[in-house]
Amino acid sequence: MPAALELALFHHAFHSIAEEMGAVLRRTAFSPNIKERRDYSCAVFDAAGEAIAMGDHMPVHLGSMPRSVAAALRAGPMRPGDMVLLNDPYAGGTHLPDLTLVAPVFLARGAGREHGRRPDFYVAARAHHADIGGAAPGSMALAREIQAEGLRIPPVWLLRQGRIMPEILALLLANVRTPQEREGDLSAQIGACRTGLARLQEMAARHGRATLPARARALLDYSERLMRAELARLPRGTFRAEDALDDDGFGHGPVRLRVAVQFDPRRRRAAVDFAGSAAQVAGGINAVFAITWSAVFYVFRCLLGGDAPATTGLMRPITVRAPEGSVVNARWPAAVAAGNVETSQRIVDTLLRALAQAAPDRVPAASSGTMNNLAIGGLDPRTGEPFAYYETIAGGMGARPNADGLGGVHTHMTNSLNTPAEALEYAYPLRLRQYRLRRGSGGAGRFRGGDGLVREVELLAPAQATVLADRRRTAPYGLSGGRPGRPGRTLLLPPRGGVETMPGKFSRHLPAGARLRIESPGGGGWGRPRH
Amino acid sequence: MRIAIDTGGTFTDCLREHAGRIDALKLPSTPGDPARAILAALRQLEAAPDCEIRHGTTVGTNTLLERSGARVALVTTAGFEDVIEIGRQARRDLYNWLAEPEPCLVARRMRLGVDERVAPGPGGRGRVRTPLRPAELRRLRSRLRALHPESIAVSLLFSFAYPAHERAIAAALAGLGVPLSLSHQVLPEFREYERATATVINAYLAPRMRHYLRNLEAAVSRGWPRARLQVMQSSGGILSAAAAAREPVRTLLSGPAGGVLGAWRVARQAGLRQVLCFDMGGTSTDVALIAAPGPRPAVESVIAGLPVAVPMLEIHTVGAGGGSIGWRDRGGAWQAGPRSAGADPGPIAYGRGGRELTVTDAHLLLGHLPGRLAAGLELDRERVAAAFARAARADKIVPEALAEALLRLAEARMEKALRVVSLERGHDPRGFALLAFGGAGPLHACALARALGMRRVLVPRLCGLLSAYGMLAADWVRDESRTVMLAPDPALIEPHLRELERAARAMLHREGPAKTNAGLALPSVDLRYRGQGYELNLDWGPDFVARFHRAHRRRYGYADPRRAVEVAGVRLRLIAAAPPLPAPPRSRPSRAAPPQPLERRRVFLQGRWRLTPVYERETLAPGQRLPGPALVFEYSATTLIEPGWQARVNPRGDLLLER
Repeated sequence: MPAALELALFHHAFHSIAEEMGAVLRRTAFSPNIKERRDYSCAVFDAAGEAIAMGDHMPVHLGSMPRSVAAALRAGPMRPGDMVLLNDPYAGGTHLPDLTLVAPVFLARGAGREHGRRPDFYVAARAHHADIGGAAPGSMALAREIQAEGLRIPPVWLLRQGRIMPEILALLLANVRTPQEREGDLSAQIGACRTGLARLQEMAARHGRATLPARARALLDYSERLMRAELARLPRGTFRAEDALDDDGFGHGPVRLRVAVQFDPRRRRAAVDFAGSAAQVAGGINAVFAITWSAVFYVFRCLLGGDAPATTGLMRPITVRAPEGSVVNARWPAAVAAGNVETSQRIVDTLLRALAQAAPDRVPAASSGTMNNLAIGGLDPRTGEPFAYYETIAGGMGARPNADGLGGVHTHMTNSLNTPAEALEYAYPLRLRQYRLRRGSGGAGRFRGGDGLVREVELLAPAQATVLADRRRTAPYGLSGGRPGRPGRTLLLPPRGGVETMPGKFSRHLPAGARLRIESPGGGGWGRPRH
Repeated sequence: MRIAIDTGGTFTDCLREHAGRIDALKLPSTPGDPARAILAALRQLEAAPDCEIRHGTTVGTNTLLERSGARVALVTTAGFEDVIEIGRQARRDLYNWLAEPEPCLVARRMRLGVDERVAPGPGGRGRVRTPLRPAELRRLRSRLRALHPESIAVSLLFSFAYPAHERAIAAALAGLGVPLSLSHQVLPEFREYERATATVINAYLAPRMRHYLRNLEAAVSRGWPRARLQVMQSSGGILSAAAAAREPVRTLLSGPAGGVLGAWRVARQAGLRQVLCFDMGGTSTDVALIAAPGPRPAVESVIAGLPVAVPMLEIHTVGAGGGSIGWRDRGGAWQAGPRSAGADPGPIAYGRGGRELTVTDAHLLLGHLPGRLAAGLELDRERVAAAFARAARADKIVPEALAEALLRLAEARMEKALRVVSLERGHDPRGFALLAFGGAGPLHACALARALGMRRVLVPRLCGLLSAYGMLAADWVRDESRTVMLAPDPALIEPHLRELERAARAMLHREGPAKTNAGLALPSVDLRYRGQGYELNLDWGPDFVARFHRAHRRRYGYADPRRAVEVAGVRLRLIAAAPPLPAPPRSRPSRAAPPQPLERRRVFLQGRWRLTPVYERETLAPGQRLPGPALVFEYSATTLIEPGWQARVNPRGDLLLER
């Protein structure tokens, strides 16, 4: 078969393994978060831990999954049937609710009998669990240090030679609010990894054991060539921009982000430097480096466009620097819950603002720039069991140089689905009161920014509610003369009437009958509005 | 007498089953009024006055693809009017900032909220939180009057568990005289966006489909007073025309579903257990992957960018066919499709005023086609040669090179479609046989098989009419379903299953086939561990919970018998089996004499003219072998056997090509 075709064949074959792992995870998980909202990612890695395929799941996981595999690799040798679990943002994780399971793949028959053999591939499944302990249900607490955000799991062997380690599981389940659900979600992740493992072994049986690693390398090289061809098209120069997060939830703000993007089309390289960004802060908007790297990865992947393979080969010609101890490269013990969901979006906003100077006809105005994280937890009176609900609420997409932005859609680093009202109400003591577009919130322009959303949830039982949201004070910017989108807001409607405007980030115990109404920001406009 | 009529974009394919034999007929389609070709077919086939007609229609699909459906008003629970536009709040293209927005099927001002609310209640039934008051119904009626909708969709929260509010709205709106689509009837399952979308698509298609089928039924009954008109559904079963008019959302893959059924029948007869079907017609190409135990309906299909959660066979369609037009893009490069010359004016070769080069024209120029096609169409090679000469001059190439390039371009689109259903879903095409059909499929089969590394191609008998063959064989099928969310207690579940069966049997009784048998009811349940979001479908019967644990372990690698199991939904499929078709004649492979070519002609293949034998399919006998290059002409299709391939005629008269 011609080499070009063989490459395409393996590209799709590896990719469909990652997609199928995702399907198994989604179909067997218990958190609505995973099964309905698809807040998970699955990927396949070569023996060196380079990602050779990632499912089309969550862009924020793109760059951080390889770091999870690297951390698991550092923790010790993996044998057939082993699976390593981790969530520590300071050792391969992103924020605590994202639990990643890494499994080695041995292609040879009867592998593992001989000691010291190294795995031929790895597969990994990451899922956002609805609760992993900590100060508030949903584990998206407003905390000043990571210990208060939940259980921190360094790389540990959840399975050894196919058997679950009961002590590890017991320790984990003793520290979370909904242990049954956690156990089910972990089973789903194990199932996903087993599926990936089986598919790789089937592939090896068909194509020969030696073929697969060679094809994986070819795929990485091909990805690199694609990115270099793109970098050759960009103008030479350094493009700078800045943007800011409102605050850290403890009154510190605005928190500034700065970036300088340097293109060298002749050498087909790019360098991205976040020097000048704010030092890490008390509240959990700090991002570990894996997130910053992911955001850069995402932006360049979009610039490339088309059907490029999602491998780490794409990032070979790009260097990323972020000052240590800053909000874009946090050090222990900084709290990081919102770094993954809020700061990651602002990093993209800042990068796009710089890129708009280099490629103005290809870059959209700022999108809503916040995931409006909502977590609610308490006791479900219908069952007497604890519950933990987590959701992110989409907003307006920034207008594009060719079209209006879409309304009520997740952009950039996330693509999670909403929880349908009819799924929500079967699962939790909650009622959705309204879910609609926030008319007029998109920025004006030659092309209009998309509208944000209004989502109002009523509590049917007393519960603790936490909101982590941004773009309440700063607005999503417009480009080329377009107007900014309208900032978001959160309203509390107590059972006895009245309305209270809440800050962007808060956690509060609420009585039954209270309603939370979240209005998400609109996207920025593009081009001068015609009057 | 049974007659299957599959209306395609270019041809109307017909088969008649009568007195133990099957006869074929192919007519040009009449897209302006598809009924004209159908009536002509019935006349030419000498249809009996009480014949049973099974129809595959593209009216629904085309209406959705062209976005030319009705002006729909949507009634929802107040506060949820935008759900149809928001969708699941995710974007389709993860890494494309500039993706064009897809307009919503219902404009914002056509969406109306009503003050009412139902919440989950005990026993799988809903509980009313806010009643729907008569004053609200009156207000809704007057608001709707002012909007002049052509069709109305109603999709309230939890309607599947408490349909009374939707029924009350239907009663209040009956006087408006427009078709109503109610979500608890179209798709009585949870998840409001998916249910509303199926309901809105149904409403969007309803006026046109109703008009079309009513006119067709009236015209048929004038000539054939006791004929029964039935329509092929996407799920692979047939239903009455009346049911199809009410639920057009179930006909989106009407023709292609017939093709998949037909393909699986001939694949099994030829002893194949896994095939990639490749059905190339005049306007589009449908591909599907089928493996034992047979075609499966999926409930997660996406058509024209919209989720369609009613049961339909898994089929992927691309806009590339014999009528695909070759054109030069802005950069000066040639492209083939997706625009099609269709049947009218059709390719230049048809001499009906077509002026743009098509794939069919390219084949004619290169000597791949006979001078006359099935529908009595004379092909005008001189006109085609002149057109290619003109176009090629601009590129300073020979006309044959341009024609061959157009074929390769069209094949690239079809190859991608075959990849989507195989490689991109983790199946290696090399383990499959390519089952090529449709009038033009067998012309491209060798090239595509080669591109995908496949070694076997099956070109079945009747390959130009395989969709019609599938329709002729199809059973009457009614699928009913409902979300219940119950404990796995038979006493709780059986009442729901009984209700579904009653509804399906009432329909069989009312609208089923003429000589109705009792119908076979296949009840099943969708089970999951309590808290999961997806279900496994298991036949209803003893031990269903134990079987669920086993199925979960088999499918997903683990099971947990201690965990609570929940019945998310119940389903019932009622099947009234069609009388069996006469088996295809089977002859013993003899030590046949080598086949005698009809002629030897100059054929342009892989860059040069070659003197190539042409065979008449009718004259081939089982056991005969045809080495490539060779052409096989038959009534409704042409097979091109490339150099390096050899065809063998099997006992049923299928051509099996191998390399």
